[in-house]
Amino acid sequence: MRMTLYHGEPNGPSLTVLATLFAKEVQAELVRIDLESGQRHTLPCAQEPLVAMSVEGEGAVLVVAGEAMTDSVFIACYLDDVGPGAALRPADPYGRWETMHWCRQMTERTAPAAAYLGCWAHPPKADAALLERIGSVDLRARWQQIAAGKFSADHLTDSRTKIHQATEKIEARLDGRQWLMGRFSIADIETYAWLAGMVRLVPAAFAAKPRTTAWLGRVRTSPAVAQALALSRTGDPAASWSVGPEINRWG
Amino acid sequence: MLCNTYKMTVGLMHSVTLYHWEPNANSGKPMLALMEKGVAFESHYLDLLKFDQHQPDYLAINPQGTIPAMVHGERVLTESTAIMEYVNEEFRGPRLMPEDPRDRWRVRWWMKFMDQWLGPSFSMIGWKVFVGPAVSSRDPGELQAAIARIPLPERRVAWRKAIYGEFGEEELKESQRRVALGIRMLEQELAKRPWLASNQYSLADINGFNLAYALPLSQPALSNDELTPNILRWLRAIYARPAAKACWALGRTNLVKRVTILEQPHSGGGG
Repeated sequence: MRMTLYHGEPNGPSLTVLATLFAKEVQAELVRIDLESGQRHTLPCAQEPLVAMSVEGEGAVLVVAGEAMTDSVFIACYLDDVGPGAALRPADPYGRWETMHWCRQMTERTAPAAAYLGCWAHPPKADAALLERIGSVDLRARWQQIAAGKFSADHLTDSRTKIHQATEKIEARLDGRQWLMGRFSIADIETYAWLAGMVRLVPAAFAAKPRTTAWLGRVRTSPAVAQALALSRTGDPAASWSVGPEINRWG
Repeated sequence: MLCNTYKMTVGLMHSVTLYHWEPNANSGKPMLALMEKGVAFESHYLDLLKFDQHQPDYLAINPQGTIPAMVHGERVLTESTAIMEYVNEEFRGPRLMPEDPRDRWRVRWWMKFMDQWLGPSFSMIGWKVFVGPAVSSRDPGELQAAIARIPLPERRVAWRKAIYGEFGEEELKESQRRVALGIRMLEQELAKRPWLASNQYSLADINGFNLAYALPLSQPALSNDELTPNILRWLRAIYARPAAKACWALGRTNLVKRVTILEQPHSGGGG
């Protein structure tokens, strides 16, 4: 089946999808887009509801048989279903629940924090005319806040706390394990993709966490992730950020 | 905690216990999924309005104090959408995920959109209109102590806002904007196919019904037979299922009685 993957620098959602694609040995045409300048909103599929309203924010888009798919964890599940490479989710339902549960906590709590801190340190830049084309009102509002340099001190503090909570969870999870779900899985890829850029931005969250530090190295050098990282054009993909999921509005 | 067992058709090697509130929003998702699969489960009703979910006996099961939680043998599972996927894969019974991998992607996309973008807006309005008023007349000291016992800081903020009516005008307006847009998106999607995410009834429909079953009552100007015939067709088709009827019969508050709006006959078009 013909597939086209529109992706940015191998960090965040783009890294998740690229690494999964390579691990699953799925053939797709790779098309580089500049997520940091909002280029996704110039794609022909940009206004399709499942692209425009993706909760993930500025992520990769996989087009399969004319259908544009977004949200990196679910694209990864799709690729895991269709690709011939080794399975990236456990086979038993409980292990699969653990994987989806882990990824949900990652996308709902860690990803908004990482994207907020990433954009604060490495602001993406889109010109005003392009911002007007963004179909989601709330995604556009997040872009406008960043363009205006408006970062809330409360959100920055809370985001650092969320990164600490993530690494504490990882350190505990890796007790007796090499990989988060026992074997290399979507959970490792997704977690690494959001946290690789946090090592420099929230170093205290990684201090005195030997299992997490060793695991980051294992994921980085695993063949599929290494292949994805080699696509970097900047040489520093962990410093490449665009607007991510929103921080919970309430409760 | 009250306890009932619903005997259904499938035998189990390990018992299933579901800790839930009303068949509504997150609690209703695993309830309806279990009933659709024909899985017998022990029902532990937690009264959200009495803060049962923050009492020590439940926190021993789910330290985060969120509802629902499911215990299957020795396993404790939380997060309602992930629980539904587990229920679908672990037990025999009708398949609630489509076979086609791209359809499965669409199921998950819609569930996340409803769980994380649309649902919180519905819920903010619901908590302002129903949950807050239902508990705010209690003894102030008792309420403060109840809030202090909530484990997750985000949930403490949510409860405080609901109890003391602290939702701001702007955030309510934003929630109403999202509800209106979400309704339009659901209607457009349901005009394409019989069910929300594929041609087969799936977890996305179970999820969506729990979010939207009362729409024609709670948002009559935005969702009715004329404006959203496909949403109404869809909601009525789910409510007509025996599992949905059995599930909503477990409701104890006025909140879930709203489902009877779907018993009114279809008066519009809809494909």
